[in-house]
Amino acid sequence: MSVWNYVVTAHKPTNVTHSCVGNFTSHQELNLIVAKCTRIEISLLTQQGLQPMLDVPIYGRIATLELFRPHGEMQDFLFIATERYKFCVLQWDAETSELITRAMGDVSDRIGRPTDNGQIGIIDPDCRLIGLHLYDGLFKVIPFDNKGQLKEAFNIRLEELQVLDIKFLYGCLKPTIVVLYQDNKDARHVKTYEVALKEKDFVEGPWSQNNLDNGADLLIPVPPPLCGVLIIGEETIVYCSANTFKAIPIKPSITKAYGRVDADGSRYLLGDHAGLLHLLVITHEKEKVTGLKIELLGETSIASTISYLDNAFVFIGSSYGDSQLIKLNLQPDAKGSFVEVLDTYVNLGPIVDFCVVDLERQGQGQVVTCSGAYKDGSLRIVRNGIGINEQASVELQGMKGMWSLRSSTDDPFDTFLVVSFISETRILAMNLEDELEETEIDGFNSQVQTLFCHDAVYNQLVQVTSSSVRLVSSISRELRDEWNAPSGYSINVATANATQILLATGGGHLVYLEINDGKLTEVKHVQLEYEISCLDINPIGENPNSSQLAAVGMWTDISVRIFSLPHLNLITKEQLGGEIIPRSVLLCTFEGVRISYLLCALGDGHLLNFQLNLSNGELTDRKKIGQLSFIVSNKKLLYSNVNLKEVGHMCPFNSAAFPDSLAIAKEGELTIGTIDDIQKLHIRTIPLGEHARRICHQEQSRTFAICSLKNQSSADESEMHLIRLIDDQTFDFISTYPLDTFEYGCSILSCSFSDDTNVYYCVGTAYVLPEENEPTKGRILVFVVEDGKLQLIAEKETKGAVYTLNAFNGKLLAAINQKIQLYKWMLREDGTREFQSECGHHGHILALYVQTRGDFIVVGDLMKSISLLIYKHEEGAIEERARDYNANWMSAVEILDDDIYLGAENNFNLFTVRKNSEGTTDEERGRLEVVGEYHLGEFVNRFRHGSLVMRSPDSDVGQIPTVIFGTVNGVIGVVASLPHEQYIFLEKLQSSLRKVIKGVGGLSHEQWRSFNNEKRTAEAKIFLDGDLIESFLDLSRGKMEEISKAVNVSVEELSKRVEELTRLH
Amino acid sequence: MWKEIGDREMGKIRPNSFSSQIKSNRISNLQLSNNKDIVSPHRGSINSLQVDLTEGRYLLSGASDASAAVYDIQRPTNYEGNGLIAKHKCLFSVDKQHGKGHKYAISSAIWYPVDTGLFVTGSYDHYIKVWDTNSTQVVMNFKMPGKVYRTVMSPLATSHMLIAAGTEDVQVRLCDIASGAFAHTLSGHRDGVMAVEWSTSSEWALITGGCDGAIRFWDIRRAGCFLVLDQSQSQLGWRPPVLARSAANKVSVSKSLSAGQNSLGKPRAPQKKYANGHGVKQSTIGRVPAKSSARQRLHPGMLSIQDRATAHYGAVTGLKVTDDGMYLLSAGSDSRIKLWDLESGYNTLVNFEMVRLQTSKAIQLAISQETAQVFVPCMTVVKAFDIWSGKMSLAFHGHYESVNCCWFSSQDQELYTGGNDRQILVWSPCEPITDDMDAGHTKDQDNWSD
Repeated sequence: MSVWNYVVTAHKPTNVTHSCVGNFTSHQELNLIVAKCTRIEISLLTQQGLQPMLDVPIYGRIATLELFRPHGEMQDFLFIATERYKFCVLQWDAETSELITRAMGDVSDRIGRPTDNGQIGIIDPDCRLIGLHLYDGLFKVIPFDNKGQLKEAFNIRLEELQVLDIKFLYGCLKPTIVVLYQDNKDARHVKTYEVALKEKDFVEGPWSQNNLDNGADLLIPVPPPLCGVLIIGEETIVYCSANTFKAIPIKPSITKAYGRVDADGSRYLLGDHAGLLHLLVITHEKEKVTGLKIELLGETSIASTISYLDNAFVFIGSSYGDSQLIKLNLQPDAKGSFVEVLDTYVNLGPIVDFCVVDLERQGQGQVVTCSGAYKDGSLRIVRNGIGINEQASVELQGMKGMWSLRSSTDDPFDTFLVVSFISETRILAMNLEDELEETEIDGFNSQVQTLFCHDAVYNQLVQVTSSSVRLVSSISRELRDEWNAPSGYSINVATANATQILLATGGGHLVYLEINDGKLTEVKHVQLEYEISCLDINPIGENPNSSQLAAVGMWTDISVRIFSLPHLNLITKEQLGGEIIPRSVLLCTFEGVRISYLLCALGDGHLLNFQLNLSNGELTDRKKIGQLSFIVSNKKLLYSNVNLKEVGHMCPFNSAAFPDSLAIAKEGELTIGTIDDIQKLHIRTIPLGEHARRICHQEQSRTFAICSLKNQSSADESEMHLIRLIDDQTFDFISTYPLDTFEYGCSILSCSFSDDTNVYYCVGTAYVLPEENEPTKGRILVFVVEDGKLQLIAEKETKGAVYTLNAFNGKLLAAINQKIQLYKWMLREDGTREFQSECGHHGHILALYVQTRGDFIVVGDLMKSISLLIYKHEEGAIEERARDYNANWMSAVEILDDDIYLGAENNFNLFTVRKNSEGTTDEERGRLEVVGEYHLGEFVNRFRHGSLVMRSPDSDVGQIPTVIFGTVNGVIGVVASLPHEQYIFLEKLQSSLRKVIKGVGGLSHEQWRSFNNEKRTAEAKIFLDGDLIESFLDLSRGKMEEISKAVNVSVEELSKRVEELTRLH
Repeated sequence: MWKEIGDREMGKIRPNSFSSQIKSNRISNLQLSNNKDIVSPHRGSINSLQVDLTEGRYLLSGASDASAAVYDIQRPTNYEGNGLIAKHKCLFSVDKQHGKGHKYAISSAIWYPVDTGLFVTGSYDHYIKVWDTNSTQVVMNFKMPGKVYRTVMSPLATSHMLIAAGTEDVQVRLCDIASGAFAHTLSGHRDGVMAVEWSTSSEWALITGGCDGAIRFWDIRRAGCFLVLDQSQSQLGWRPPVLARSAANKVSVSKSLSAGQNSLGKPRAPQKKYANGHGVKQSTIGRVPAKSSARQRLHPGMLSIQDRATAHYGAVTGLKVTDDGMYLLSAGSDSRIKLWDLESGYNTLVNFEMVRLQTSKAIQLAISQETAQVFVPCMTVVKAFDIWSGKMSLAFHGHYESVNCCWFSSQDQELYTGGNDRQILVWSPCEPITDDMDAGHTKDQDNWSD
């Protein structure tokens, strides 16, 4: 890999952080607006559910999302503030269906310390001001003028230092805030302040309330007529206003989100940390609050945000599981739940770990993530491919073949679907109701297995069985002619097109027939030296009805031969090599290209392709592709996976009801489906009901092992920590090893050691004792998989948490608290094995992330950036070679190549450092030089080498090395190392795109991607934003031309080069 | 720790609160380092310590034997004690032997804030010298009217390169590195000036503490000081109640002693270029555009009563502004520590527990913003106080004689202290020694493991 990196999102963020409901797109339309950290999605509420309208990136991490309606406006405006202190006010433009920026600006200050508890942004219900709490001790006010325009902001000192929540009160003459805070003695109180806009100061508010629930964390302002505020604690809920105080006890729970049900504010939905949904009711007599009532409604995903839509429909946004659209029923279901889940929206976040595997052995990586948390924990299998959307399916057992036929030669649609079984043939047809129905074709022999079927000219159909070829009228459905195989020979394979039939019988006989009106004519017959395994005469020449060439695959000598038609003269013979016979051959050309291909599928599932010269029949440019896949054309041959497994047979089935579909025979099922136009990521969910923290795959045992934790019951804190073994096909738990009390699984690795042929799972653990700040004890456990069981065969106690494990020179490298430790795997006299320490390296704060390459060890420290260590074989010692002296708090590291290391850190940045071996002084050589910096805006938990796409050898992008990363928000991204020339070209393109594509809310792309931490902000360097570059393809032609002029490359060339890049993910 | 890491992984705690949690945890465990040793070459008491502001890597010390030295605190020079104790010897030192070095005690040694290419020393020999770090040569000399007590440079400054110096003299001088000359002098103190501190929110604001007990605020673009702290002004946090609002507001406005603040304008930091749209950058000092024109006339003369206000009874010996630019801590020869609200200039009346402070010498305080702690040299002990409550949270016993200076590195969560005993001590979060090399590879020890 190289330093010139291209960062692109393969799977967008799905963690729902904020949501709100209002009349945003029109005063009559109700919209749900959802923020997914760096994106917003606007959808419309319709009878059918939520209909997406817009999904746009925001150049910032969204800290606040609020809808409001200034006086005199017909529809709501959207206020967004980002974590890097930018804000904007957006309005919907109904004509262009775009967002217009009403206002934007910067609310950062030189003074004050950024709040620890997150930023707060609130809007006065009467639209007099926007309030922001961004720094401890300061409350920023952006006032509105009479016309609803924003005026200059100012700060007011807030004496309360530990602010937990601030809300505006309803129904106050002057804008009034209520502040929930914690004092020096950890007691919690609320206090109200009036905001005096003229004086730019607070005035003591109408009331306050001291000594609340110690877990009070959330304020809900109550709208008129009741007004006041609800204070949600862990054990009590309090209603408070100037003259009323009501409290009710609740079951201990941490309320994470609330949604208001009625406009009058008498009912609220509360979602807690265990995913339970409660309804809180304020009982009142007229405007006097008389009490509070709470009722359990049911269980949802653990909510991070709740938006009550309308008519008992509720959107539950989640950070730890899939988001949901639910309906609240009046009557409970059998389980006593009032909640009915109508729809779920996939969320991969938080991806705490993942591995890249090739489960189907197709040469294409799939990502298996540890996603979700607590009860919503799951494994997700993410793979790129073409989707087949199931339209209809029938249960059928034992299908052996399948062909679609038309009712007449001119009919554009297929009518019949011939399905062959071992001893019979059945015909399905579309009836008038567009349903598949069994029918008969009298001329067909339905008592035997069909070998081949095809439409023929003159409204005829051809059926080939082992004994004969039958020509049938597609109108009368009666037999018109029959050609019988010579006695003693049965037909093994056959193929046909509209005018020709080629078949092979035992003994290597190859027979060529031609189809005339009502007549089959045997034209030529040759005998080959070996048996024939497969045939094809797909017309690829000028004439769409007949072929000049025939492709034949042979047993015994394992070859493919090209014959000329009608004379069956051998033109070319291509030895395939190896021992795997060709099972299927196909002659084809792809749209838009003059090049023809011969595809040849082998018995082991591999696919060969050759370029075929039509004029002389020569085969050139042989290529072998992974396992049998799907093929699309885009002027180049591309191979792509499909999201189906165990497909036995398939054929195109283009019926009126299911246009452009495929009929697919799976085990026990016949399915009709359409194909996606483009490749996309497909996600399969394996719910675990517990939180998987670490995962790794073992090829040899075909298993995954995970470290997971299970909450005993949702209410209390007791957790069980487990090592689970999972079958990599069925994803069932097949074995479990429980860890000790207080023992946490921290790392997991599948590896083998020198002088030992076994493959092991190694697990690193830590004893996390409540009274200890840092674990002082842990274990390394070694398991072998035997009969699908985890067998513990060795363990080694360590003096700290084993944060990572790496296989290293046939040994085990462990990071234990401050230390890197190398263990040898030793054979004892009694034949058992054990770990023996060989050497170690001190001097880290906490060595959290470790990667190795050869003798080099790259360590990502808790707070001391990246250091490079080297293992010296002769001395048996590990020494520090170089370090990055910046104070980066790391979250992941990866080695890109011998000299370049990639890191992700606490402030959502990526950076690369370079080893400086040629430095002239010790000081220079001892320093890892920072070469690349980039603000990703995502918290990366893991990097892994690998690719999500099939590395097709004939594309340039196939050569580009990539690293995949997974983040807290459920993003799967790719870091690709580009050749320098391509980087220079794309950098130019990126800077032109920055000028043409304006960020939503006027936010600047350049600032967004600039490296940023507490100490400094610096322009991004040698990282390119692939998301921006690839958005070129979505531009209007006019804008494309603008860019084309700026970079001096034609639009077509640009599109081609950018499309090429999209194939990286 | 593993729990916090897990919570960060799943997004349960924000990365920034993760880091501040861990930092505060570590800071609460500060103790004399068992694995890091700074080898002091000084043969006199250590008066000044500072780690560079760019990389957080080089410690600069200045001592009474007229020497200054630089240490690499990230990369040890060698190891002792089986490789477990990292020794940090000085990379270089300059002393009287140096042809152009100081003749008497160095009272202040500071880094040029922009890079480590220059450092500045101030000495009792009346000179301030600017050194080239790489060549260890003096590149500039400023002759002061008396003993130099303290030199400071603004960490924010992008448009000036001024060294503010407090000396025996009543005037505070600004030495301009760019021109090599005095930029101007600030008159107001009635005695020598031991403590000088730049604001952390405005590059133009300077705070000085004199032996006359006064703490004065200066806008270096104007003549005269604009604020003198008064220990009896302590009305912070009192807000007029709702009913009496209109009347009370007037009082509060006129009370907020913002004399001359309107003349400051808005110090907009030039290096932050992003102020587009509603640019609303603010700095505490000199914010409120107060309308009282009467105030403007006051300075440079100021009302004599206000001008004579004192912050401490006795000399002000140490000053430190919090990193967020909102508070000032001062130490005086009256053995008091005071916390001031910078915006209003009020004494917050936080009651710091009784301590004994050195009276004759300037002391260098340090602050840990994460944990809201101030480190104060109290004779032979360094004590850490909670800024908001004034309670002592930690005491560092280790020096044999009085401690003069301390420096806290937030990046490494380490405290460096220097005293009259010529030692520089490192206080770091305690780390258990995890030496689990199998003591001999004897088999009997490991028999339990299968």
